[in-house]
Amino acid sequence: MTIRSARPDRGQHFRPRMLCLNKLEVIVVEMQDPKSGVTGSEQKLNVTTIPHVFAGKDIIAWIANKMKTPPEEAHVFGTMLVAFGYIYPLQNHKMLVMCNDTSLYRFQAPYFWPTQKWVADDSDYAIYLAKRNIRKKGMLEPYEQAHYNHLHKWLNHKWDFIVMQATEQYKAGKERKKPDRVVFDCQERAYWILNRPPRRTHSAMDCGPERLIDPNEDEKISFDQYRRKNMFYQQAIMRSKVKSSVSLGALVKYITTYKTHDPFLAPCQPSNPWQTDNDTYWTLNMRGVDVPTKMRVERWSFSLFELLTDLRGRDDFKVFLKKEFSGENLAFWEAAEELKWGTGSSMSAKAETIFKTFLAPGAPRWINIDGRTMGLTVKGLDHPHRYVLEAAQTHVFLLMKKDTFFRYLKSPVYKDIQKKALSPETHNFSPAQLEQNAQNRSPGIHPIILWQQEEEEKAKTAAASAPVDVKAMMSKIDRKK
Amino acid sequence: MKKTRTPGCLTRKKKKGVYRKLHGCQKLGGDVIGTRWVIMSRWRQSVDELAARHRQQVECQRAQEALSRVTSCFQQLVASLGSSADCSFLRDEMDETRMLAHRICNGLSKRLVRLLSGSDSIPSGAEDRQVSERLWVLLLSVLENFLSDLRKARDLIGQFPLTQRYDRRSLVNTGCMDGVVGVAARVALVQVPWLSLEEEPCPDLTNHIVGLEAMLSDMQLRVPVAFWSVEATQPPWAEARGELDEPDDTLEDMMVVEAVSYNKMVACCQPPCCGLGCVG
Repeated sequence: MTIRSARPDRGQHFRPRMLCLNKLEVIVVEMQDPKSGVTGSEQKLNVTTIPHVFAGKDIIAWIANKMKTPPEEAHVFGTMLVAFGYIYPLQNHKMLVMCNDTSLYRFQAPYFWPTQKWVADDSDYAIYLAKRNIRKKGMLEPYEQAHYNHLHKWLNHKWDFIVMQATEQYKAGKERKKPDRVVFDCQERAYWILNRPPRRTHSAMDCGPERLIDPNEDEKISFDQYRRKNMFYQQAIMRSKVKSSVSLGALVKYITTYKTHDPFLAPCQPSNPWQTDNDTYWTLNMRGVDVPTKMRVERWSFSLFELLTDLRGRDDFKVFLKKEFSGENLAFWEAAEELKWGTGSSMSAKAETIFKTFLAPGAPRWINIDGRTMGLTVKGLDHPHRYVLEAAQTHVFLLMKKDTFFRYLKSPVYKDIQKKALSPETHNFSPAQLEQNAQNRSPGIHPIILWQQEEEEKAKTAAASAPVDVKAMMSKIDRKK
Repeated sequence: MKKTRTPGCLTRKKKKGVYRKLHGCQKLGGDVIGTRWVIMSRWRQSVDELAARHRQQVECQRAQEALSRVTSCFQQLVASLGSSADCSFLRDEMDETRMLAHRICNGLSKRLVRLLSGSDSIPSGAEDRQVSERLWVLLLSVLENFLSDLRKARDLIGQFPLTQRYDRRSLVNTGCMDGVVGVAARVALVQVPWLSLEEEPCPDLTNHIVGLEAMLSDMQLRVPVAFWSVEATQPPWAEARGELDEPDDTLEDMMVVEAVSYNKMVACCQPPCCGLGCVG
């Protein structure tokens, strides 16, 4: 554990996916050439003038000329330069994009470049915040204040150093000439907007967790690795292939069915909790909810698999099957699932009960599978293992899919729930409300309460799915007479 | 006997009282005087040691502030490396600042290791130990900060060597002109007691980094200090309340360029995602 931060040092220091930075640096250095680089002008402020300011359109024109690309690509490239922090905007410093007009930009000092080796540290950020605090006498932005308080708590042991260093840096900064001071402060501010972006903005420096291996180093592939690669590719060639028209057709069909349900491609109703910090979406889609949402009900109609994997859908399907008195297929399927996913010690007991309930001739809930599968399954049950009911389960699943599922979709049960389903309105939060939401995030339901609810559900279904005693039914009917 | 502020003063006054007693006892037998003299001299020795330790702590604190000053000036100089303000004068100033920091570091680390290694005959009180530990943590933090600046300086000098004239073409036009004279003057004013005493040759940049890394690991091995037990002496937000000699709002005003109407900006860069602000 080093003294620089509270996080333990696991020896992982390399940020992945930042190989473009080296290439960008070369381009930026080429832009500086006095003859063939970008031409700049002077920036006139109230008291002084500062040289080396560049217009956005000049930079984009230079890039388009140098890299021989159309202007749209040059525009995107320019935005990338700003997003990675090699160029910073002078107007509207929080929007890190490059505009193709006369808005002004300046190059960032190499000290503040986002090279892969120099990580922007928490201690440095704390010193910067303390310095800003001194200069602005406590008027920091709310996200900066939140960071400050957090760092004061976690870097408390070196807080005296941070304040001392901040004061000294502030005084050292004052020794420079006025225009240089302005430029340095702009540079520092741009650096920290990039590395500690404000709330609910995303930054180009977002990369995965740090790695043990330097991604800039060339990888040496050994002879053994080449040998294995060759074997793999030879086997891949020998596999049977599907025509691309067929597989692409299946992919297109999948996309057309699911595209309105994908949270990246279509907006979540009412709002995506990860973006707006409002968890109505999750409460409306819980397992035990009475009235499901329209999107959920629509999803059940896509395939039997969707219906069964959504537990609320499975409940609905069970209600339908109870009306039809054909619940044994689903019960068998569920029992087989339990066997597959259950503990090893309970397997033989479960196998016994399944045999007695579903497979033995004259069993109370006898399932109708073909003779060959029945024979195989019964033989396998002598030495039960996890997948002994796999064949029977698949057969039952196909039976349900080809027959019962379509009847369910046309049934009054399904149509009824379609009518009743909720369609929540999209939320429209203002930025102030978003801040409110972020601060009032609820911790959600305790897992113990969820587990208790699940146990209650299991007890209810066990009671409800007890085999229908025909004799008791008959006697009830008799008594009515 | 009046109660004074620091314990050192108190013991000094007590010492005087004992002297008076001793004078009074001179009329007694010789052997009594002898043992009392031994006890007294040992006591005086401990008092002297306490005072010496206190002096050393004050000296280390002042050296710490000096080191902070030098490292922050060093940072200002390194920030200009590779930019249009880079020149041989800047690099010379950087070397001089580095040498000064090197000498202060060495002296300070030696003194703090001596203070904290517990080889004194008198065990230090809890408060004393706390003060020394605080100084230790501050020194380690300053050293790590300085080390990161040194590494950046080494990389930047490697990337922008100014050996040939055409190298100046690749310097980044950041808008800085060289204004580091004030910073250099500030560095020159820094005084530490042992500067004139110990004259060692200063290593070049790479060796300096290696030496500093070795010093850091050596220090952490030799003295076991739990640095998370050190607490800050200042409450948060306290530094904003200090007086500034000049109001600095003009700096913020200067940084705001002629206002371009916000609507124009929005029309030009329309973020394609839903209502979230895009930084990049």
